Amino acid sequence: MENLRTDVLVVGAGPAGSMTAKWAAKSGAQVVMIEKRQEIGSPVRCGEGISRSWLPEVGITPSSKWINVEVEGARIYAPNEQCLEINEKHAGNEVGFVVERDGFDKALAIDAANAGADVLLKTAALGVIKENGRVVGVKGKRFGEAFEIRAKVTIGADGFESQLGRWAGIPTNLALRDMDSCLQYRMTNVDCDVRYCDFYLGKVAPGGYVWIFPKAEGLANVGIGVQLSQITGMAEARKYLDAWIAHHPQYAKGKKIDMVGGGVSISPPLKQTVTDGLMLVGDAARMIDPLTGGGIANGCIAGKICGEYAAKAVELGTPTKEFFQGYEKAWRARLEEKLYRNWLAKEKLCSLSDETFNKVVDALQGVKLEKLTVHNILKAVREKYPDVTKEFAAFL
Amino acid sequence: MNKKLLHIESSGQLCIYCGACVGVCPLNCIYLDETRITFDEKICTRCEICVKACPVGAIEIG
Repeated sequence: MENLRTDVLVVGAGPAGSMTAKWAAKSGAQVVMIEKRQEIGSPVRCGEGISRSWLPEVGITPSSKWINVEVEGARIYAPNEQCLEINEKHAGNEVGFVVERDGFDKALAIDAANAGADVLLKTAALGVIKENGRVVGVKGKRFGEAFEIRAKVTIGADGFESQLGRWAGIPTNLALRDMDSCLQYRMTNVDCDVRYCDFYLGKVAPGGYVWIFPKAEGLANVGIGVQLSQITGMAEARKYLDAWIAHHPQYAKGKKIDMVGGGVSISPPLKQTVTDGLMLVGDAARMIDPLTGGGIANGCIAGKICGEYAAKAVELGTPTKEFFQGYEKAWRARLEEKLYRNWLAKEKLCSLSDETFNKVVDALQGVKLEKLTVHNILKAVREKYPDVTKEFAAFL
Repeated sequence: MNKKLLHIESSGQLCIYCGACVGVCPLNCIYLDETRITFDEKICTRCEICVKACPVGAIEIG
């Protein structure tokens, strides 16, 4: 098979990859994006809930082609099932749309292609090519045959199971406590409320939560994440999810029509996401919000920045680690503070007893919060349960 | 070294090809093709992290 050369090579055609490819192409670079699967966006591995405030920033126009439901807010359920309702404008913009992820990914890939990027399907990277310590492309298989693509800039957008970073020498390993194992059923014939995304906290999902994201009347994604450091045996995600469903008649009566799983990083930001010739973006760069487990918004926001820097490096002939510090600094300036803050909050939440969760949710009943920040929540909790706030002294 | 047996059920009876095991392997020795998971017996240290990460229990060590 013919070997290729290009300016920018993007490995992985998920949202972060497509966004990077689109903005690199728009900025004038020749771009090739490779995808190991035959179909972009499928099979889906996602809860499919996204916020929407960030969409204009990266040039995505909401479309009925990939929006199932526009939700009004979120409901957070304490272990005693008392619930805290949060409107979208108070929810830190973590809710907004429930989407058809395969349609969303395809729309972004079409944007990238229309901007000028070439897309190669059934093309898997199996290693990086290095010359003088610099990544200059990847070797792999295309339709089962060996191939090489050489590029001035290589982008690792290869998701949670990313290999590119490791091959290039960027440490991306995660500790057990920095990972959740996730499983989700799509269920029909359930009593879901299409106005809300629901989250159930506490020991029902150690180190994670159970989510209900409505896809339509009677149809919802019912999923769970559990922290690896808090589970012991095999198939724990499935056991916890099945147990939760069995205890909730409105879902127990439903029928499972689909099942997806996957790993989610809930780690603090990586120390390094670039090296000579290579930048990482999205889940591959551990940009997933460690509190919510959401990765699409951050992947797309960083993807735009990454694409622009990739094109600039091509133009100036400087695909070096030093030059890529520009990308490193820019994505951190945009995302890192929140990632770090949410990681701290997640660490705390993972250690809370069910009793404390119950008190926190109870204290917030009827409290009008201008903005749902950790600080505001704790202020409200302090008024009703002063003893509980001692646990959170570090946050105040 | 007497290594325990690691078995990844990747024929599809249990495995859903989600890649969780690939992402968590600290030694980078599990590989995911579209419908096939393989691991490198020689590199694997049987740390069992993948066993925990697998949401459906398709990885066993005995």
